[in-house]
Amino acid sequence: MVWIAIRMLTGDATKFYGLLFGIAFSTLLITQQLTIFVNLIERGASGVYNVPSADVWVMDPVSRTTDVNLPMPSTALDRVRSVAGVEWAVPHLRAAASVRTKEGDLEGVSVIGVDDATLIGLPRRMASGAADVLERPDAVVIDDVGTTRFFPEGYDPVGERLELNDQRAVIMGVADAIPSFTSQVTLYTRYSRALNFVPGTRNRLSFVLVGAAPGVDAKALATRITQDTGLRARTRDEFARDGVDFIIENTGIPLNFGITVLLGFVVGVAIVGLTFSLFIRDNIKQFGALKAIGVNNAKIRRMVAAQAAMVGLIGYGLGVLGTVGFIWGFSSNPTFKGFYIPWQVPLISLVAVALILALTGWIALRRVLKTEPAAVFR
Amino acid sequence: MSAAADTATAIAAISTRGVARDFTAGQQTIRVLHGIDLDVRAGELTYLVGESGSGKTTLISIMCGILWPTEGEVRLFGTDIYRLSDSDLVDFRLRNVGFIFQQYNLIPAIDAASNAAVPLIAQGMDRLEARERAIELLAALNIAAQADKLPNQLSGGQQQRVAIARALVHQPRLIVCDEPTAALDARSGRRVMDLLREVALADDRSVIIVTHDNRIFDLADRILVLEDGRITHDGRDMPKDH
Amino acid sequence: MTRRFANLNFARQILPAIALLGLVIAVIFIASGLPDRQLEPPQQTPPRATGALANSARVAGAGVVEPSSEIVDVGTALSGLVMQLNVQPGAYVAKGDLLFTVDDRAVRARLAEAEAAIGEARAAIGEADAARITAQRQLALYRQVDDAEAVSRTEVVRAEGEAAAATSRLALARARLAAASAAAGSARTELARLAVRAPIAGEILAVNIRPGEYVQAGGPQGGNAEPYIRMGETRPLHVRIDIDEDQAADVALGANAIVSPRGAAERQVAARFVRAEPLVVPKRSLTNSAAERVDVRVMQIIYALPAGSDLFRVGQQVDAFIPAKAPSGARK
Repeated sequence: MVWIAIRMLTGDATKFYGLLFGIAFSTLLITQQLTIFVNLIERGASGVYNVPSADVWVMDPVSRTTDVNLPMPSTALDRVRSVAGVEWAVPHLRAAASVRTKEGDLEGVSVIGVDDATLIGLPRRMASGAADVLERPDAVVIDDVGTTRFFPEGYDPVGERLELNDQRAVIMGVADAIPSFTSQVTLYTRYSRALNFVPGTRNRLSFVLVGAAPGVDAKALATRITQDTGLRARTRDEFARDGVDFIIENTGIPLNFGITVLLGFVVGVAIVGLTFSLFIRDNIKQFGALKAIGVNNAKIRRMVAAQAAMVGLIGYGLGVLGTVGFIWGFSSNPTFKGFYIPWQVPLISLVAVALILALTGWIALRRVLKTEPAAVFR
Repeated sequence: MSAAADTATAIAAISTRGVARDFTAGQQTIRVLHGIDLDVRAGELTYLVGESGSGKTTLISIMCGILWPTEGEVRLFGTDIYRLSDSDLVDFRLRNVGFIFQQYNLIPAIDAASNAAVPLIAQGMDRLEARERAIELLAALNIAAQADKLPNQLSGGQQQRVAIARALVHQPRLIVCDEPTAALDARSGRRVMDLLREVALADDRSVIIVTHDNRIFDLADRILVLEDGRITHDGRDMPKDH
Repeated sequence: MTRRFANLNFARQILPAIALLGLVIAVIFIASGLPDRQLEPPQQTPPRATGALANSARVAGAGVVEPSSEIVDVGTALSGLVMQLNVQPGAYVAKGDLLFTVDDRAVRARLAEAEAAIGEARAAIGEADAARITAQRQLALYRQVDDAEAVSRTEVVRAEGEAAAATSRLALARARLAAASAAAGSARTELARLAVRAPIAGEILAVNIRPGEYVQAGGPQGGNAEPYIRMGETRPLHVRIDIDEDQAADVALGANAIVSPRGAAERQVAARFVRAEPLVVPKRSLTNSAAERVDVRVMQIIYALPAGSDLFRVGQQVDAFIPAKAPSGARK
């Protein structure tokens, strides 16, 4: 009977493709918008994820995110190092600065000072040059998306000079980093150099990056650091979450994307619901005949479920394929750098598709089930 | 009682006792059948004739197990079908009743052989095996060549033969036929009736035909006339006043 | 088979195949595209507490390597040009060894002058002595003559005057000799002061003068002038560790510390406790910023580094971990 149901479904090409379009469009809209949404707000956590080795971030109690921070006195580093369970701790500076480019333009940049000795705080990979170029005098490393904002396309910035707080800085490498929410140009340099690049106040230490000793749980360690030092300590995941929450709380992004996703759902329900109803109405006589012949309601349900499943599978597959194509197509665009499809998103859209089909299928099925087999003689 | 009733093989295939049916229209309740007592024998071609509104559709629906009577009982080959549970009744229909609808109600998306095989598929038979069986039957009906065609590629007569094949493929014991000749000219109508008698009628099977086509009245084994919910005539021929 | 292949239906076979293929592609794409957020160990070893301190109470601090004598900035007592430089950086000198000499030509000239004056005074003494003897003998001669007519009274008076004058001249010449001797002694002392010698035994850490340069008695003048010679006892070396005043109370004074140089954190040594400075000082920031303001004070603890390690140099920054006192029950 499932075979017959599928034949009935594909036999009416217009409605079949209408249903496919409805599901595929809904899937595409929901998946694609959710993907962009997740990636956009995760930009709030890029500063945290760009540091691959820190288990715990320690900061002043009022600091909120990587960009919204209040520096601490330099002895905070030693106080953190004194906490049992801390394998290592290194200073980390994050501050805004203005840079004069060769053309004389003024650009806001964020300067990140990484530990002098170990270079902890640099992104995992370099796009060009090695990390140890920072050992050279006046060396800075620029992030790859920042490169596109400072220089023309395809320009190799290595060797370019910048002026930071009346100090000379030479770009020695390009880091492969996820851009921040504002896509601001990021310059990495050693902590001691960063102190010169950033116009100073008396406290300069933005963060202390901490590695947990083997076998020490990051969450427990963070709690202990807070207890012992009075500083705010967040595990990597917590602090990433803080950055995301900050964007959620301070922008209208969730609402906007939420509306679009809801629209995708509503459009899906509307198109699929209408088309499905039309399809059932057209076939109601056949269903009636089948019922009279002796096809029971369980089999009828299975038939409609098979039709819904077929439409759902193909439509969903095409929609997800469309999203993948979209993300893949834009992956080279700096705006979309690092964009990925979180595995949860296709599952959410799958649930949405299932809901759409369950809802519309249920309405359509009700009509079939209510049909009296005796109606076939009228 | 007619001669056919005396034959030993002609057992009561269908028997109704006191079957009545009410329909509610707004606040009014209309009784369309008034206590029908009827026995239909196997091996006979029985006509159910009546004006529209006479209740013949209601009666045939009740007799074949798709409409619950308000009162009375219906026995099909000894089974009191309205004492069965809903799902058992559906299953009973699937195994024992074949339908030929007036508009055939073939599924447009599947070919003739598959349409004819629907009852077997619904019984759970493998689709290709069911098709084989259906094609054999189509051959007996002389349209094996059209087995792979979709219903809308067939002529009206061919579609009807497919519908007949569908009614017969699972070898039911009762075949219900709704106005089989209404859309056909006189010659085709007679040919269909011949065909029905030839392939459908068997000693252990009864065929009930609902019709008001007076051109084929002479082909019946038994004619039942229904007027205002009561059987007013029961015999081999039509009463003269019709 | 071929017949079925020919009947391949777009809606029923190709589309679902595309959809399934799309899903497979999507799964692969999504699985391979997930961001790599694995934590990884740092590529270079950061300073860490090891051994018994790894998971127990401890106090961390940063500090600087210094000589056990602390650094001695050698100055000069007298200004002048450097004539001769006797040491190089890294040389190990004994107490009193000559480090450098300042231009002594003027002093030497004064000494020669004084010595000439001594000769002259000595000659004058001889001359005055001779004159006094002559005058006294003449006076005695006159006194022996009784005849008043033979020696006039005038003659006698003159002879008495000459004898007195000769005595005075002798006294004067003696005084001049003393003066010249004193001048010569002063010049000799000055000559010794122009040779700068090591005040203690130790290693020469820095030499910032070269022969011909001018050194001043008040020490180097000007904002960023460097001391002429820096030296200190580097056997053994000490480290001066800054401990945040908040944590000063937690330090287990007397216990050994684990010390590692910046940039070579994996090479740790145990350093012996020497003393804690009694004075808590403002944190000396190593941030190079000119306009540094501080509100953090630190306790400084001195530790002795083990001898024979070539890991540490004076002035190097180090990271240290010091055991903390066992937590007292009072802190709850």
